Amino acid sequence: MAQNFVQGSIVKLQRIAITGMKRNKPLALSSMKFCNYSSSAQQGSEEAKVAGTVKSVFISQSNDIFTNLALEDWLYRNFDFTNHHILLLWQNSPAVVIGRHQNPWLEANTAVLSEHGIEIARRNSGGGTVYHDRGNLNLTFFTPREHYSRKNNLQLICRALLREWGLKTEISPREDIVSGNYKQISGTAAKLGRPNAYHHCTLLVDVDKVKLGHALHKHNKGIKTNATQSIPSPVMNLCDLNSHVKMEKLLASIGWEYLRTDPYSAEDKGEDFIGKQRGFQFINPTDQWFPGLEKLRAEFASWGWRFGKSPKFNVTRTFRVPRELLSKDELTDQELSITIDVNKGVVEDVLLTVPPRLAAAKGFSGQAQVVTSLRGQQFSEEAITMLQKALSELESPEQTRNEFVVHCMRQVVTSI
Amino acid sequence: MTPSSFYHENGGRKFFQNVERMYTNKHEWILIDGKTGTVGISHYAQDALGDVVYAQLPDVGTEVLKKDECGALESVKAASELYCPLSGRVIEKNAAVEETPALINQSCYEKGWLFKIELTNPDELKELMTESEYENFLKTDAH
Repeated sequence: MAQNFVQGSIVKLQRIAITGMKRNKPLALSSMKFCNYSSSAQQGSEEAKVAGTVKSVFISQSNDIFTNLALEDWLYRNFDFTNHHILLLWQNSPAVVIGRHQNPWLEANTAVLSEHGIEIARRNSGGGTVYHDRGNLNLTFFTPREHYSRKNNLQLICRALLREWGLKTEISPREDIVSGNYKQISGTAAKLGRPNAYHHCTLLVDVDKVKLGHALHKHNKGIKTNATQSIPSPVMNLCDLNSHVKMEKLLASIGWEYLRTDPYSAEDKGEDFIGKQRGFQFINPTDQWFPGLEKLRAEFASWGWRFGKSPKFNVTRTFRVPRELLSKDELTDQELSITIDVNKGVVEDVLLTVPPRLAAAKGFSGQAQVVTSLRGQQFSEEAITMLQKALSELESPEQTRNEFVVHCMRQVVTSI
Repeated sequence: MTPSSFYHENGGRKFFQNVERMYTNKHEWILIDGKTGTVGISHYAQDALGDVVYAQLPDVGTEVLKKDECGALESVKAASELYCPLSGRVIEKNAAVEETPALINQSCYEKGWLFKIELTNPDELKELMTESEYENFLKTDAH
């Protein structure tokens, strides 16, 4: 499981000064201690066993959601956390991140996202959908499985916010961090494996709430599925609670709090405890430092993982048939209903329920072509283009009816 | 080998016939019938998970090795990995559980079974724990 690495050069950490609340003197961060990423050859492992577990704060240098998810996964798979717990801090360029068993079409406006250059990603942990941008801080707490404790981690964050800015926050019954007026400032999820586990959460510092609202807007899309669904919740930024809260300071403040907290009892052990830990470290997530990272990243970025992994679903829409397509003596409105079954992101079947008047009118033959040309296609705009091509090769008396069906099909796929 | 399982030869191939479940230290159980094993999670595991909201089971035809991650169970906000107790090929998954994941909490040994495999290496069974060994294991700190 663990990989041994060739020891590289030491990365010097910039000094982050924090004013100690109690004694009002600056706490200069000691220069970063060298950390070998391997498990069995941990530097000072003898010391670690005698002194107990040590802690590190890793800060990712990447803002790419797929790279950061890959880094998180790499640590989960390869690192031995027995005597060394890690807090990973990371931020991403705008992205919507869905939970492992969710449906991206249901959780977000996929068309809107691609228009605005917002990525859509699927993480490995459970839970609901969140929106990330540079005003959001992600925290991942890594421990061996038996020392996993979401509550301890959230309490640590609350303590840091109180200590640095006097902010009073609480942990809700659903184990999210909320402000005094019960608006969510953080979302939490976890992955439990053996021997490793992680709990990760977001912290809304200064996120673009307008973009967040647009990206996550849900409306009735006619989708039926047993995928897990998000529970929408009103959110607020930390900077709304206190305008002095800034990302850089927050990183340091939470990092310090993490380092001074006992890994097992979760008690605050004071400033002196920090000197026994491994300190802060900037991480450059590349394949050179983390062999196999590129492969993990490619998987996270793949269509198959992001869309194909969705639990199977069907989507149904109905459309009123334009009068001109029906026979002249037709008095009532007629509806065309389309149900598309999607499994692993691919169209499995299409059910067209054609009103009798449309079907009877000069022999509507588009049905079979619709179904066969769509089956096996990825559930996307491309599928509709294929369909249109297939139907356009039919004889012209059928054209307007076929075009209508294609138009409806396109509506189903693109509007969700 | 325990008194409750017996070992017999059948046309040159060896089969284990177990009348009780065997357990892993990851809290999965497997019940063998000839060359087929039915896999599920123990009461301890389902209790620790909390209400299961989604079960992601391995697809039929998947080749799995002992201890491989082969699926996940999602409970409130935590996705827990499922590990395969023995090596084999998945021959069936429990559609009822996919439809109603709560079955795992309600009946983890009966209706809440997860998937069935055709064993490729029956000798691995020796490495698993019997029910009484598993019960002792639960009493130690190691779990």
